[in-house]
Amino acid sequence: MNEELSYWLALAHLPKLRTNKKNEIIVRLFEEQKTIIDFFHFEPKQWKDNYELNQNEILLFQDAIKELSNYAFMVEDLLEQGYSILPITSPEYSPILKKNLGRTYAPTLIYTKGNKAIMKEKSVAIVGSRNADKVSLDFTDNIAKTASKNYKVIVSGFAKGVDKQALDSALKYKGQSIIVLPQGISTFNSGFKKYYKHIIDGDVMVLSTFYPKATWSVGLAMARNPIIYGLATEIFVAESSSKGGTWSGVVDGLRKGRKIFVRKPDFNEKNANNELIQKGAISVDAKGNVLSYEQQTVLSQKIVSETDPNDVEYKIIELLKKGVFTSKQIVETLKLDWSSRKVSTFLKEQSEIITVKGKPLKYAHKERTVQSQKTLFDLK
Amino acid sequence: MDRQQAEIKLKQIFGFDRFYDEQWETIDLLFRGKRVLLIEKTGFGKSLCFQFPATQFDGLTIIFSPLIALMRDQVKGLKENGINAKFINSEQTAEENSQTIQDAINGKLKILYIAPERQENQEWIQATRQMNLSMIVIDEAHTISVWGHDFRPAFRRIINLIQLLPKNMPVLATTATATKRVQVDIEKQISNDITTLRGRLIRDNFNLYVISVKSEDEKLIWLAENLNRIEGTGIIYTGTRVNTEIYSRWFEYLKINATEYNAGLDGETRKEVENGLMSNKWKAVISTNALGMGIDKPDIRFLIHTQIPASPIHYYQEIGRAGRDGKPTTIILFYNSSKDDKGIEEDYKLPKAFIDGDRPSLNKYNKVINAVKSEQFGERQIMKATNLKQTQVRVIKADLIEQGIIKEVIYGRSKKYEYQFAAPELNTKAFEELRELKLKELESMLEYVNLNTSRMEFLCEYLGDTIPDKIENCDNTNLQRIISNPQPDTINLLSDFRETYFPELRVESRGSNIVNGIAASYYGVSNVGAALSRSKYQNGGDFPDFLLKLTLKAFRKQYGQELFDLIVYVPPTESGDLVKNFAEKISRVLKVPISHNLVKIGKTQPQKVFENGYLKRDNVEGMFAFNNPEQINGKNVILFDDIFDSGATIKEIGKMLTNNGASKIAPLIIARTVGGDI
Repeated sequence: MNEELSYWLALAHLPKLRTNKKNEIIVRLFEEQKTIIDFFHFEPKQWKDNYELNQNEILLFQDAIKELSNYAFMVEDLLEQGYSILPITSPEYSPILKKNLGRTYAPTLIYTKGNKAIMKEKSVAIVGSRNADKVSLDFTDNIAKTASKNYKVIVSGFAKGVDKQALDSALKYKGQSIIVLPQGISTFNSGFKKYYKHIIDGDVMVLSTFYPKATWSVGLAMARNPIIYGLATEIFVAESSSKGGTWSGVVDGLRKGRKIFVRKPDFNEKNANNELIQKGAISVDAKGNVLSYEQQTVLSQKIVSETDPNDVEYKIIELLKKGVFTSKQIVETLKLDWSSRKVSTFLKEQSEIITVKGKPLKYAHKERTVQSQKTLFDLK
Repeated sequence: MDRQQAEIKLKQIFGFDRFYDEQWETIDLLFRGKRVLLIEKTGFGKSLCFQFPATQFDGLTIIFSPLIALMRDQVKGLKENGINAKFINSEQTAEENSQTIQDAINGKLKILYIAPERQENQEWIQATRQMNLSMIVIDEAHTISVWGHDFRPAFRRIINLIQLLPKNMPVLATTATATKRVQVDIEKQISNDITTLRGRLIRDNFNLYVISVKSEDEKLIWLAENLNRIEGTGIIYTGTRVNTEIYSRWFEYLKINATEYNAGLDGETRKEVENGLMSNKWKAVISTNALGMGIDKPDIRFLIHTQIPASPIHYYQEIGRAGRDGKPTTIILFYNSSKDDKGIEEDYKLPKAFIDGDRPSLNKYNKVINAVKSEQFGERQIMKATNLKQTQVRVIKADLIEQGIIKEVIYGRSKKYEYQFAAPELNTKAFEELRELKLKELESMLEYVNLNTSRMEFLCEYLGDTIPDKIENCDNTNLQRIISNPQPDTINLLSDFRETYFPELRVESRGSNIVNGIAASYYGVSNVGAALSRSKYQNGGDFPDFLLKLTLKAFRKQYGQELFDLIVYVPPTESGDLVKNFAEKISRVLKVPISHNLVKIGKTQPQKVFENGYLKRDNVEGMFAFNNPEQINGKNVILFDDIFDSGATIKEIGKMLTNNGASKIAPLIIARTVGGDI
């Protein structure tokens, strides 16, 4: 994989070519069982015939080839310093990001530092103004607390106000967090110092989609917003004005069909939360509970979500159909990377699971309980 | 380009008529964008295999080389042929290096030599973004293998780099010494798609001798009696830095024209010695094995080792620097086979000690891991937090980085070490395997010493070279053995020398009126250390009088008839009045008044508790005062102490006395330790 990385950087940072086009090339390569290395060493004719590159695009790639060895130096340096470089084809690339943004918007390459596994957990983004009111910050704290308790990862944009509160709260409640940078990953010096312990303990992961040496700019900060939304399975808005990053981010998210929860403001608040709700966002109370009839949609969404045989939750339920276990036994039997506490919390929420009294507490599936009773009766 | 066309260009640019077949084979592969490992003996003409193609590519060729001297020589040679070549290394100023980088970016260079360590430099990494690169060369490629001698951790990064390079970029790795195992390791690391070309390693112009002796003195004596009888000029390798100094003083005493060279000398002096070597300024240069690697001198006529190297590969590599012109060359290895109380041969001890000291204890690894877990630390902070020597911290850091447990991260201008999330446990198995290998190699070196068949055949076989014919060029075949037979006159000379040779203490520094001082002896290489130790630690009473005689002799030698106003002594931490009593004796003999006003104003630990210079300095910083500053204002002062280790105490007191107005501070010490840290 590593030997491809210089090529990936050359593709990802190719100027004047849309993400969509880059991802289409990757999909095509995947279908034809070719690698990105093969692609760069194709003749221009192949680019034109098989990958529909026009003359300008061919020139772009010919320039990019010349830079491959330069990228090699850069990649070596980044890897040496402990940064990860994840192409969209990497099994470590955030599946949530890929699913949410699709081939049109999902970044071709992401740079990370820290515990990459947390990109596979359910995640909550809490966004809002840089100078949010106390009520918004309290809301943020509530959402972060609930999310952390439920082992959901908080996605933070690392801006002042709501973003920062979301991160601080996640860490306060012993949760985990992804920091999405508005800059290149190798320019985050003070942050890496501040969150050093959290990073080496696996509680914080830092992510950037930009050229590693890029410094902060308004443009990058705006471009980062869709990444925050893309990384999250749930999006909460604490406070938005009628313009600026939060506003355009939410509007963009709604346009892409995302479900976005917005805090219902009090009458005397001066913000644009209500406008967002009118545009289709779902209103929630200070604790994040959905207000009025939209509650149904949320519940139904939960029920229809597909089951994946590799999904941990699915495996646990299936196991409990076969026997009665403590949460610790479940973790051991299935070799899960979950804590037993996490298993317990999950099981207590499941209507199909019942608890068997005793110490430690055991869990059983309703189906199985019925069967075993039957057997019991049969014996009599 | 075919061979004929290439040889026309070769004539135009380098003035040679044709390539050797092996050279052309290599060059042709590089022209076709391939990766090549070239194993050929020193003097074969490996450099031309990358220099020529470099002149034909449109972009820049980068040569990673661990040898500064080689860079200098080759760049000089290339420039004489009108080729734009430069180097980047620690010998140049930062400005010179920056200028070279700019030239590379602007396409003004064809060839750039660079030390592998530069890959850690951000200015360099940034600049590589903008260079038009055509080829990468790894010189001395055996250093990329942990199984090779002289493994350099910095080359690990170069290997990573090579793996990331575009597939059609030519890469050449060259070495003169690779066993089969090292060869396979290099091939594996560079890529699956590498072609290896291996040449013959035999050097038949060598005359190989081993001289067996029964003491260290015999070596000094044999050289005194015979060095000037060996033809031409050459190099003497001693196993340690301190021995380069002792041998060099001995030859000075004998008026044999020689000089010393070791890594402890500053860059300027080293360059001077290298240039002097080139122009045959001395009969011999006495050096650690740092000298000669990569020096393009064809007529080094003799090469003498006073200690055995770590393995036959090391030995082959080191003697390979001599006689490159193919003319007869004398190669001598001394071996002291006298045994100590435990039955261990004396000359086995030093290389064995290097192997034993190669890796710090596990406990020390854990100290570093724990320190780095607690905070982002730089090297100095790690040293302070762990109380480990710099050399040890560096070995540990390199291993931990190699194993992916920590990473070196660059923030602005500082380097920090970071523990990695989900880092693996320390793998000590790799260390043990390596230790086993090194012990085995050392045994093979002893086998060479005790051999009674052809020495050259043994070396070639060891390096995986096939030998078609009998090779006769050593004291086991066609040459007469050399027997050590010390003459009484020389023995007397040596004992006179021992009483007049005193180690210098280099402590001069800007802003301090302290001057370089003198010690009566080394701590470890004479009976002085034992005498001090008896008095200090075994209640042996005052320092014995022979030390006074020796110390006064040292004083006379260094300071002659210079007048001093006062003698002061370093107040002790734990050894009572020994130093004071001794200073009083000196004061009486020299008739220089003694002052008891140099005092300690805070609590210090004995310096020997601290493993590194930073902590030693911290331990004594601001800890001394002078009670009656009037007494020293404008005065020339002798500063006396018993033992000199890192020099931190002496320098600190020198600074304090300077601030109190002393106009000269002259250190006088009984014994200087060997191998003091940093």
